[in-house]
Amino acid sequence: MLLHDLQRRFQERILSRKSGIEPVFNEIQDDDFDARLDTYVGGYRTRLAEALEATYPVLKTTLGANVFSREMRLYLEARPSRYFSVRHYGADVADYLAQRYRTPRGASLADLARWEWLLADVFDAADDDALTVAALAAVAPADWPGLTFIFRTCMRRFATSTNAVECWRAANGLRAKPRRLGAARPSHWLLWRRGTTTHFRSTTVLEADALNLASAGMSFAAICERVAQSVPASEAALRAASLLRTWIGEELIVDVGAAR
Amino acid sequence: MKNLGFGLGLRPEHYDAILAERPPVDFFEALTENYLVPGGKAPHYLQRIRADYPVVLHGVSLSIGSTQPLDPAYLKALKALARRIEPAWISDHLCWTGTDGINLHDLLPLPYTESALQHLVPRVQAVQDFMGARILVENVSSYLSYQSSEMTEWEFLTELSERADCLLLLDVNNVYVNSVNHRFDPNAFIEGVPIERVAQIHLAGHERQETFIIDTHDAPIIDPVWELYRRTCRRMGGVSAMIERDANIPPLHELLAELDIARGITALQAAA
Repeated sequence: MLLHDLQRRFQERILSRKSGIEPVFNEIQDDDFDARLDTYVGGYRTRLAEALEATYPVLKTTLGANVFSREMRLYLEARPSRYFSVRHYGADVADYLAQRYRTPRGASLADLARWEWLLADVFDAADDDALTVAALAAVAPADWPGLTFIFRTCMRRFATSTNAVECWRAANGLRAKPRRLGAARPSHWLLWRRGTTTHFRSTTVLEADALNLASAGMSFAAICERVAQSVPASEAALRAASLLRTWIGEELIVDVGAAR
Repeated sequence: MKNLGFGLGLRPEHYDAILAERPPVDFFEALTENYLVPGGKAPHYLQRIRADYPVVLHGVSLSIGSTQPLDPAYLKALKALARRIEPAWISDHLCWTGTDGINLHDLLPLPYTESALQHLVPRVQAVQDFMGARILVENVSSYLSYQSSEMTEWEFLTELSERADCLLLLDVNNVYVNSVNHRFDPNAFIEGVPIERVAQIHLAGHERQETFIIDTHDAPIIDPVWELYRRTCRRMGGVSAMIERDANIPPLHELLAELDIARGITALQAAA
C-alpha cells in the first residue's frame, strides 16, 4: 500500500472509525489489538475534548460535565482539527451551540462560549506598546478634530442580550450568581490585556458606539458628533475627551493618526 | 553539537519558580506550538527565561512523515520564533500527524520502508534548508507496527539521519516503551543508532497497561529506563539530556531531584 493510502486510511479509522486498515498492522491477531488501536482513536478525541475543556471551563460548569462532554464529542466528531496548535481548536463552539439549541437558552449558551473564546483570544493576542499620555499631549490642538485612533491588537468588544458575562463572573467568584443563564438587558463589554493580565469591563451604549466609530477609523470630530446625540452639545467635546482619557489610561490605544 | 548539559521541559506551571529561584538547570526545552501564538503570557515568559538559560525548541506538528506537503505557514512561524528565541537547536518527531489538511495532534508511526525513507529524506532536507540549520528528529513511542516494515526502527533512523544529514533526538523512554510494545531488545536499539548524530536525549515516565505501555510523560522515570540511559551514556558519553513531564506536573524541586539522578548516572559512566 502506498504511504499516502496508508495514512489516509489510518486517518479515516481514527476520524470516522471506518474499518479496513487493520490488516496492515502486525498486532491484528493480538488480544490487545483494539486497546492499542484505541490509544490513537480514543486519544485523538481525548486531546481535543481536553482542549475544549480548557477553553470553555464555565460553559462546562453551566452545562454540567456530562452534557458538556456529550456536546463536545458531537462537536469534534463533525469538525476535525486543522490547526497546528490544539489551542486554536474550537473557535466555532458558539455557532455550534446556537444551531443545536434554537432556544433562548441556546443563545445564552452560545454567548457564554463566545465570551470564553474571546478571553482565550485576548490572552495570547499580539503584544504592542500602548500610547502614552505624553505622546497624546504632543498633538497640536488644531489637529484634534481630525485625530484617528488605532487600538491595541488585544482589544475585543462584546455585545450581548443575555446574562452570559454575569454568569461567567459569578462562576469565577466575581459577583452573586444570577438565577439562571438567559436573556437580559443588552450590555456591552470591552476586553483587553495589560502585560500578561486580561482585563474586561462593561461599557455604556455611548462608549460602545464611540469605540465602534473610533475602531472603524472615524475621527475625534465624528466621535464628538455621536456623543452630542446623547449629551448637551456644549459638553460633547469634554465627554469625548474624557472617554479618550480613559482609553489612554487603560492602555487601549496604540497610536493616533490623521483622518484622510 | 554542543553538550548543553541537563535540562527540563519548560512548563507554564514552573514559569514563576524558574524566574524567582533560577534553578540549577542547564537548559530548557520549550514546546514549539505553545509559543507559536502572537503574544501574551507564553512568549513573555519564554523571552525572560531565555535571557537566563539556553533554550531548545521541540515541536509536535512538523509532520515530517506526512504525505501532504509541508505546511509553509507552520515553517514560517517556526522560523520567526527561532529568530526571536535563538534556540540551540530545533527538534520534532519522526512521525506523521495527519493528512489532507487535518491535524490529529498525535505522533503517528511510519512504516520502516525504503519508500518511506525516499519520501522523508527530501522533506527533512527541505526543512533544514528553510531553517538554515540541521534539525533533530526524535524516535516516537508507538502502539502498532506495520507488516510492511522492511527494517528495524533504529536502522530506519540511522538511514534517515545519514541520507538527510540530520541529527537525532534519542528518546530513551520511547526506546524502552517500543521494546515492550513491539518485543525487541532495547539495547540493540541503543547500540544501533549512530552516536555521532545523537545531539539530545529525552527521559520520561510512562503508563503501563496490562500488555503494553502508553507514553504519557505523567510519572517519574522508572528503573529500567534509567538502566537504559546508563547504557546510552556508556556508549555515547556526554550528550545533552532532559526530562519531559507533560501531566501530573510536580513542583520544580521534584524534577530537579530527578535530573540529579541523570547527572549522577552520567558522571559515574564518565568516571568508569
